[in-house]
Amino acid sequence: MDAYRTPLTIGGISLRSRLFLGTGRYPSPAVMRQSLEASGAHVVTFAVRRVDLDVAEDDPLLSQTEGRDLVYLPNTSGSSTADEAVRIARLAREAGLGNWVKVEISGHPRLLLPDPAETLRATERLVREGFTVLPYTSDDPMQAIRLEEAGAAAVMPGGSPIGTGLGILNPYNLGWIVENAGVPVIVDAGLGSAADAAAAMELGAAGILVNTPVAKARDPVAMAAAMKLGVEAGWLSRQAGRIPRRRHASASSGEEGGLFAARPGTAGGDAE
Amino acid sequence: MRNLMDCRLYVITGESYHPGRKMIEVMEAALAGGADIVQLRDKNATAAELFGKAVELRRLTRRYGALFVVNDDVELALAADADGVHLGQDDMPLAQARHRAGRQLLIGISTHNIEQALAAERGGADYIGVGPVYPTPTKPGRQAVTTAYVAEAAAAINIPFFAIGGISPATAEAVLSAGARRLCAVSAVVGAPDPTGVCIALKRDIERWEARGSMRPESEHGAAAGEAKSDAPATAALTLLLNGKRISTGTATLGELAHSLGLAGRRVMAERDGEAVPRADWDTTRLQAGDRIEFVQFVGGG
Repeated sequence: MDAYRTPLTIGGISLRSRLFLGTGRYPSPAVMRQSLEASGAHVVTFAVRRVDLDVAEDDPLLSQTEGRDLVYLPNTSGSSTADEAVRIARLAREAGLGNWVKVEISGHPRLLLPDPAETLRATERLVREGFTVLPYTSDDPMQAIRLEEAGAAAVMPGGSPIGTGLGILNPYNLGWIVENAGVPVIVDAGLGSAADAAAAMELGAAGILVNTPVAKARDPVAMAAAMKLGVEAGWLSRQAGRIPRRRHASASSGEEGGLFAARPGTAGGDAE
Repeated sequence: MRNLMDCRLYVITGESYHPGRKMIEVMEAALAGGADIVQLRDKNATAAELFGKAVELRRLTRRYGALFVVNDDVELALAADADGVHLGQDDMPLAQARHRAGRQLLIGISTHNIEQALAAERGGADYIGVGPVYPTPTKPGRQAVTTAYVAEAAAAINIPFFAIGGISPATAEAVLSAGARRLCAVSAVVGAPDPTGVCIALKRDIERWEARGSMRPESEHGAAAGEAKSDAPATAALTLLLNGKRISTGTATLGELAHSLGLAGRRVMAERDGEAVPRADWDTTRLQAGDRIEFVQFVGGG
């Protein structure tokens, strides 16, 4: 079984976990840290925001993660154009925590769905500048292909809009993206529970990214652990190969040696 | 039992910061790191639970020779044989608490401005809290008083004062340089994976500043950072757009500006006119009138 536990490699880094964890909206930095530990995540996401200069504050978040062996994936949330996303990516790189970036360019405040044209443009530019680019995209198979062509290290289609917990709204599209992708597909956004995590992995995703469903769960630490198991279960299930869906029942035991004769008119076993 | 005058590091309980760990274990870790005073604060516990916790903390602090203070409740402090009670501005008035407890309890008062501090001192408080210096999740929505109030208290107050609110190893330097010699921490200690280590770090910071005596903070600050004072005479004030706000500054470089904002020791990134500026270049990046400067940092995100 260990043969199936191949590590996911992105941007030349072999990752310990296929679960990526967001760091926003936890009840406290301590709960975030414990959730991170429980999740086993290797990649953690952050946003970049202005320092509030009216009130010098310390940095409770980074102090929880610093010194750990993590891959930092800052996002470009808050940008609505490729120019803005590139600016945020360059600033994030100056933190000295690596060159990964999640391109996230939202045009609509209620949908938060990515702007495809600007996302593609930002991906092209950032790849040229040497970033490891993981663009967040909608579940559009053509856009996923374009992003891969632009040099994305992975593509991150959403299951449903950010923070909705609606799960995977279009498994057909996601399955299509996975089958045609030459880079890892990380299902990002919209997942609500460990079942959604497993479903994404069974569709063939290389990994998932979750934030809100963990941070806003009644017990974030327990949900982080559940997500870890969901990802592992879904991955292994995909590798194991599920049975095809059938229209009729098929018994788990054979008919030979049965004590009673089949009722007239039902003999013949499998009706298929 | 420790004398209050010898107490430098004050730690308050905050169970919401360490889910899954026992309060008594976390506080013991803080005491092991050198916390001099432990305060029991718990707004959610029932009276019976509070009493149980108070008894446990009393036993623990005795073992470490540390002071034990109860938040808000004079009767609980007396019943649990605590060393003191700590009162907020909206709790039982100081005079009434003193009348009830006499000299049996130390009385500490939270203050948010110098008038309150002077009133507490005049009223016979044994110590005061000065803060919140920085915004803190422990007191959401309360306006931070900044290190300006710490400096005022250092100049005007003669009883011990503990700077509180957002105190951590990352902010200690700025608070101590403003004149504090006693610190009080909550989340930075009890929410840390290693409360002992954080307490040791804070104690070391305090001791370092104590050893320097009461020199003028500013001159000392520059020297500590190894800054060569600009050979040019005082720079004329420049008007900049800083994080979207128009400001006037006497600093000449991006590095000086960051330092003046207390950002020097933090993982902060800078941008000037839309171009990210590597940290190594901050000190050589000269500011010009009209520059658009952004200081940004990592925050939680998905």
